Amino acid sequence: MGPLITNGIISPETDLLLAFIIGIGFGFVLESSGFSSSRKLAGVFYGYDMVVLKVFFTAGITAMTGLLFFSLFGWIDMDMVYINPTFLTSAIAGGVIMGAGFIMGGFCPGTSLCGAAIGKIDAMVFVGGLFIGVLMFTEGYPLLEGLYNAKPMGMVKISEILNVSDGVMALLFIAMASGAFWLAEWFEKRSKKVEY
Amino acid sequence: MKPRVIFTVVFFALGLIIAAVPQSRTMQYRVGADDMLEDLHGKSQFISPDEVAAFLVEDNPVIRLIDLRSPEEYQAFHLPGAVNLPMTDLLNSDYRYLVDQDMMLNVFYSNGSVKANEAWMITSQLGYRNNYVLEGGLNYWAEVIMNPERPSSTSPDEEIARYNFRMGASKALGGDAGAETAPADVEAPLPAITKRPAKKRASGGC
Repeated sequence: MGPLITNGIISPETDLLLAFIIGIGFGFVLESSGFSSSRKLAGVFYGYDMVVLKVFFTAGITAMTGLLFFSLFGWIDMDMVYINPTFLTSAIAGGVIMGAGFIMGGFCPGTSLCGAAIGKIDAMVFVGGLFIGVLMFTEGYPLLEGLYNAKPMGMVKISEILNVSDGVMALLFIAMASGAFWLAEWFEKRSKKVEY
Repeated sequence: MKPRVIFTVVFFALGLIIAAVPQSRTMQYRVGADDMLEDLHGKSQFISPDEVAAFLVEDNPVIRLIDLRSPEEYQAFHLPGAVNLPMTDLLNSDYRYLVDQDMMLNVFYSNGSVKANEAWMITSQLGYRNNYVLEGGLNYWAEVIMNPERPSSTSPDEEIARYNFRMGASKALGGDAGAETAPADVEAPLPAITKRPAKKRASGGC
C-alpha cells in the first residue's frame, strides 16, 4: 500500500496540502511545548532542561518503530521509501555548524520560525541570519562544492554498515534513547534550577 | 507507575518484537489487487486444453509447457515437450529465465489447476508476463484430449468438429483414443488443424 505518493494513492498536490496541515500541527506542538523559547532550547546544552533531547528522541523512535511495524504488516514497502543519500564530510561539517548556531542562537530553524511567529525578536534575528546563511551558501557554492560532494556513500543505513537487521538496529536505538533519557534526567537533577 | 516507565517498557517490548521477527522484505507488487481480481474474474489466464493441443500438434515453437509437479510425477507422465519446474523452485533464481521472459508463451500445468493458478498469481504479481494456466490441469486434459467423449450423432456440428479435433490431437499426442478408429458417423477421420497465430507476439529487441 505505502508509500502513498509513490504508489499513486495520493497525488503530489494532495501531498502538499497534507504537508501544510502537518506543518501547522508541528508548529503548534512546538509552540505549546515551549520550544519557541530560546532559553528552553539552550537548556539542553547547559544541562538544566533536557526536554528537546527527549522530544526528538521520542519522535525518532516512535516513527522508526511505526515504520518497521507497518513494513512487517505489509502496509509500506520500505524499499520504496526515499532515504537521503549520505555525504559524510558535509554531514559532519553541517552538524558542527548547526550545533554551533543552536548553542549561540538558542534556536533550530523550525523553532526559530515558531518564535518569530509569536513575535520574539531574537527569533526574528535568527531567521534573518538563517536567510543570510542560505544566501552565502548559494553564492559561495562553487567554493564549497568539493566539501559538499565529498565522500558520497549513497543511500545507506547504519544497519547495513553494521550488518545487522533493521529490527536489531531499532532495538539498539531504543536502548540508546532510554539511556539518553536517564542521563538527561540525571543531568537535570544535578544542575541548578534556572528560572526562565 | 510513572508514564516514562510505561513508555520505556512499551518501546522496549516493541523493539524486542521487531528485532526478533525476520526482516520484512515486502515484495513490490506491480499488479494491484484490483487488476488481479479482474484478471481472475475474467479467467484471462486460462488456456483451454484444445488451444494447447493445437499448439502442440502444429509444433508451435512459441509455446512452452511448464510442469509444476514433483520430478517423480514428471518422470511418470508429462505432456510432450514440457519442462519440469517444481512449485518449490518457482522463485529459484536459477530458473528465473523460464518464467520471466518475453519470448515464449508459458503454460503452467499441474494435476488440477490450483497449483498452476498459484504459480500464475505469484509470477504476475512479480510483474512477469506471458504466463498462462492450462485450464483444468492434467485431469481435464486427460478427460477431453486423451479420452474425448464421443458426442451423440444429434450434437451440433461444432461439437462434432471439436471431437474430431480432439481425436486427432489425441492420436498425434499419444493418447488412448489414438488407437481406436474414428467413428463412422464422423465425416473426416482426421481433423484439419488450422494454423493459429500465437496468442501473444514474441517481442524481441535489445
